[in-house]
Amino acid sequence: MAQQPNAIEMRGITKTFGSVVANQDVNLTLRQGEILALLGENGSGKTTLMNMLSGIYKPDAGEILVEGKAVSIDSPQDAKRLGIGMVHQHFKLVDVFSAADNIWMGKEKAGFRLKKDRYEEIRSMAQKFGFDLDPEKKVRNMAVSEKQTLEIIKVLYYGAKVIILDEPTAVLTVQEIQKLFGVLRRMKEEGHSIIIITHKLNEVMDISDRVAILRKGEYITTVDTASTNEQQLTEYMVGRKIDLNIQRPVVEKKRPLLEIRDLTIRNDEGAVAIDHVSFYIRGGEILGVAGIAGCGQKELCEAIAGLRPIQSGLMIHKGDNIVGLPPKAILEKGISMSFIPEDRLGMGLAPSLSITDNMILKNYASAKGPFVDRKGGREDALRVIQELEVVTPSTETPVRRLSGGNVQKVLLGREIKAGPNVIVTAYPVRGLDINSSYAIYHILNQQKQDGVGILFVGEDLDVMMALCDKIMVLCHGKVMGVVHAHKTTKEELGLMMTGALDLSNKYEDKPAGYAKDTNISAQELEQLQRQREEKGEEE
Amino acid sequence: MRLHVVKRDHCPLWKKACLYLLAVLSALVLGGILLLAMGVDPLAYYSRMFTMGMVGNKIAYKSMENYLKVFVPLAVTSVALSLAFKMRFWNIGGEGQFIVGAIAAATVAFQAGPVLPQGVTLVLMCLAAMVCAGVYGSIAAVLKVKFGTNETLMTLMLNYVALYFLTFLGETKADWNFYLDETSVRPIFANFGKTVSFPAFPIGKFGLNLCVILTFVLGVLVFVYLKYTKQGYEIAVVGDSAGTAHYAGMKVNTIVLRTVFLSACLIGLAAAFKVGTAGILSTAITDDVGWTGIIVAWLAQMNTAVIFLVSALIGMLRYGSTVAAATFSQVDSSFANMLQGAILFLVLAADFFIRFQIVPVKKGGKANGNG
Amino acid sequence: MEMDKLGVVTSFLHNIVVYNIPLLYGTTGEIIVEKSGSLNLGVEGIMAVGAIFGYIAGCYANSLGVGILTSFLAGALCGLIFAVLTVSLQANQNITGLTLTTFGLGVYFFVGNGLKSIAWPAMNDYPNIKNGFADLPIPGLSQIPLLGKGLFSHNVLVYLAVVIALCMWWYMNRTTPGLRLRSVGENPAAADSVGINVKRVQYLHICLGCGIMGIGGYYMGLNMSGSFNSSCWINGYGWIAVALVIFANWNPALAILGTFVFGFFNTLRVSGSSLAAAFPGPLGWLAGVPTQLYQALPFLITAVVLVVTSVRKREGSGLPASLGLNYFREER
Repeated sequence: MAQQPNAIEMRGITKTFGSVVANQDVNLTLRQGEILALLGENGSGKTTLMNMLSGIYKPDAGEILVEGKAVSIDSPQDAKRLGIGMVHQHFKLVDVFSAADNIWMGKEKAGFRLKKDRYEEIRSMAQKFGFDLDPEKKVRNMAVSEKQTLEIIKVLYYGAKVIILDEPTAVLTVQEIQKLFGVLRRMKEEGHSIIIITHKLNEVMDISDRVAILRKGEYITTVDTASTNEQQLTEYMVGRKIDLNIQRPVVEKKRPLLEIRDLTIRNDEGAVAIDHVSFYIRGGEILGVAGIAGCGQKELCEAIAGLRPIQSGLMIHKGDNIVGLPPKAILEKGISMSFIPEDRLGMGLAPSLSITDNMILKNYASAKGPFVDRKGGREDALRVIQELEVVTPSTETPVRRLSGGNVQKVLLGREIKAGPNVIVTAYPVRGLDINSSYAIYHILNQQKQDGVGILFVGEDLDVMMALCDKIMVLCHGKVMGVVHAHKTTKEELGLMMTGALDLSNKYEDKPAGYAKDTNISAQELEQLQRQREEKGEEE
Repeated sequence: MRLHVVKRDHCPLWKKACLYLLAVLSALVLGGILLLAMGVDPLAYYSRMFTMGMVGNKIAYKSMENYLKVFVPLAVTSVALSLAFKMRFWNIGGEGQFIVGAIAAATVAFQAGPVLPQGVTLVLMCLAAMVCAGVYGSIAAVLKVKFGTNETLMTLMLNYVALYFLTFLGETKADWNFYLDETSVRPIFANFGKTVSFPAFPIGKFGLNLCVILTFVLGVLVFVYLKYTKQGYEIAVVGDSAGTAHYAGMKVNTIVLRTVFLSACLIGLAAAFKVGTAGILSTAITDDVGWTGIIVAWLAQMNTAVIFLVSALIGMLRYGSTVAAATFSQVDSSFANMLQGAILFLVLAADFFIRFQIVPVKKGGKANGNG
Repeated sequence: MEMDKLGVVTSFLHNIVVYNIPLLYGTTGEIIVEKSGSLNLGVEGIMAVGAIFGYIAGCYANSLGVGILTSFLAGALCGLIFAVLTVSLQANQNITGLTLTTFGLGVYFFVGNGLKSIAWPAMNDYPNIKNGFADLPIPGLSQIPLLGKGLFSHNVLVYLAVVIALCMWWYMNRTTPGLRLRSVGENPAAADSVGINVKRVQYLHICLGCGIMGIGGYYMGLNMSGSFNSSCWINGYGWIAVALVIFANWNPALAILGTFVFGFFNTLRVSGSSLAAAFPGPLGWLAGVPTQLYQALPFLITAVVLVVTSVRKREGSGLPASLGLNYFREER
């Protein structure tokens, strides 16, 4: 039997963004009718590589073969014509359009007039693929999983033979993930070839036929899933066996520094993001916050930093109520926040300004007179650059031009410099390589030993279990429980994250998240009680 | 070979300068071709325009004085707008703020001019113009801060509200209307130049107007303000990332309001300068500086020193063309508008090559697939 | 006497339409441009360019059709400049639009003043243009008392403007290319990812929209049967059109209504006194209203609309989500 040509072959692909090399001489092969997992850490260049298949980016060098023929993919249109479809991590949907119109707008021979029967056509087509879809529902009213389904239907409808999914499971619950995998298996049986990007090993083992691994933008190898294991894949992924024995120094417990009691916060859309949450952080401990992306982590961080108004509840810092204080007053109390959003530069740093200018961001106002004190800023910048080994041409380099790890070091360096007593940090190692990550863990541990209380919002459960003292699990804004990191298991955390396991009432003698040696005064508790009663009357 | 466009990280200064120069030259060549077609010697025309008729002219100092009258309002307005733009606040309401400032200054001139000493009147004119223009400009800022109203469209609308108010003053004969000339039957603006006018310091025959000196002083002040003061630092942070500014404890809304107010204030000052030297209101009092200033500030990338340079050049183009029109009667003075447009189009195009570069796609690479 | 009063009302209605149709052209054109995601502040300049070239070509060929076509093409050419700079070369849309206004008015006065010096005749002197621009009463409808003569007896370009606006509404909301146009203005990355040629859609609609503005410019001259001496241009219509787009909530069909509302104030400015004279009792106060208030009203109303819509947020607003933002596919 003549061998079938490969569905996709990428040879010697290189892609740079300015001075950042995203992909270096990468080779990748996708066979007909297989599910290939593309594995790599955050920032290893998976998405960039796939975007070159889908026509979003053009490679600087290299060639792409589709079914054995060399092609040039200059636009998403070319990709579509070649039967390549991609479900992007950030959905590419028009919010104000209906589901059907989002599909219809890209249909090749759609006819000139928009007819009502397009809804019926899309509905029946979706049913043919085995999906349930309301074609007239507007995307802005859809849940995340619905949007993803729509994206998959879209790609199928355009007749894609090769389907690329970028981190499809990041936003889904366990049940939804299983459903998605079922869909993928069925598509494979129907002859589609699939690439799935992920960095979750269990999913790789579960769904894929083969695994291709990228590390720091370079192609490492491809292995058959059946003949490998998680340990080996991890080694490929990170380059060496990960010593997840991140240190966890034992520090003497102190009285609670920050106590959150019965906190409720709404998100930008007005929905409840954090729902009656209570917890506390002591000096010298790291409290991890685990949860699927978008479970209220962002809102919680913002509320503590004074950036977001709260609906009800108490936030007590060393016995003082900080609810309603402006961000500046909260900073002055020693509560520092370093929130690393997805674009890494959005909050906490001003990307076009120099390292020096970013150093003085929080204390520029304390200089005497009307002028800013750049001299002090420059000294601080030099110190951070030296102590944290930031790679930069000078202190005057715009932060935007630094690489991800260095940006994060600058950010944390500034926070620590101010000598905070509570650090709220979200995703501090997102997009960093292993060595940079360890540097960050080390910084956090040092702070912990100095008696600082740290709230660590993280993604990687392995890391959190190794680094944190306790882990609080959030699911849709509710606390599912706080567990000791060294006692829990990944499975337990996973179940809690999806809401399948609720440990919040495990200890019946005391409500979860209430410190025994609380700093909250009786008066404040009374106030909280009144708040509740008022709410009750309203409802 | 395939080509494709990628973003540039950094463009060396000499390359920038060359590209911009090339753009300006190409526009001049295009204009030159048009002049040739009309039977005008482009070199003669351009030299007349760019020297503004000062060469071989006994009253060259007059030309210089007149040129500076064009330059001062433009430079001050552009500098003022750059404050707001630096914060990414698209204040395109310079026209309206200028008009409101001009009306305020004229009001003081008419009311206080005959009573108070000239120096006091001038100071009051400047203050009144600044406060009124500042308040007018702040309307859009308040709405933006409170409701997120689009400031580009809002300031645009307010331009015309101000313009028609000025037209109303200029066309309505009434007892209360002290802006008009009482001796004229038809409504025309009255002249107060005899009672109030910015003084000039004679240098030979040339009179260096106080406004010119103040303009340069203002330029230095704004430069220092943006670069070295806390408030300037706040503007830079808010313009770069409002989220970061908020988080750093800055009161972003206050900063936006303060900066837009200041920006509009300075536009008011520009109007006071203009009114204080012209000695009369007019419905064309702005001379389009509210529009041109936007382009100047943006072209100069909000850099104060460069703004002075660009304003000087654009002013030269505008004033020079009216001078040249006197000699070359077949070329209308609106040639300057066309030329200015062409220059800007080409500079915008040149800007593309500064921000992006076009690179060829290389084929090949090692062929050791993983199949 | 009674008849006279009715005549005043009828001619008032008639004037609302006749003098403000350029607004409808400008607004419809700008809606199309903005729906593709481009905020074009060059309407004023584009209409001026359309006015002058439509005038020259129309007179030269002694044909209304040629004039319309030329003004369309001249406008579209301005659109092409805008598209090259903002779509292909990623230039700032505000700056490019404002420059286009400066440039367009420069061209208009440069060419126009040139014509003045050689005493070019008025458009009315060309019989084909004059006849082509004559009123065509709609049978039946134009017989309606009071309203008929005012609303249903107009020149061909009035009907054309209304037809274009309705067609554009239909095109945007009921056709597949219209769906694609809206998708580009809402979320160009999404449109791109399904294989829509974003640049082509933007180029096409920017040129189409600007072409329609160009016809609006030509109309102004025709309506004033202008030679250049009597001026075939009114300052500020382009800017009112920008305001009207907001007032009409980016809906070309509503733009017809909006034109009528704005035109109403515009006409009060001119004929308010004759209304006051005809109905001294109920409308006598009109004589005392300063005309400049009418001129400022469209902008004041739009400012209020802007505030109201921003207070109510985006629900139901036609504002394209990526208006004013350039799209660069390889953005990271």
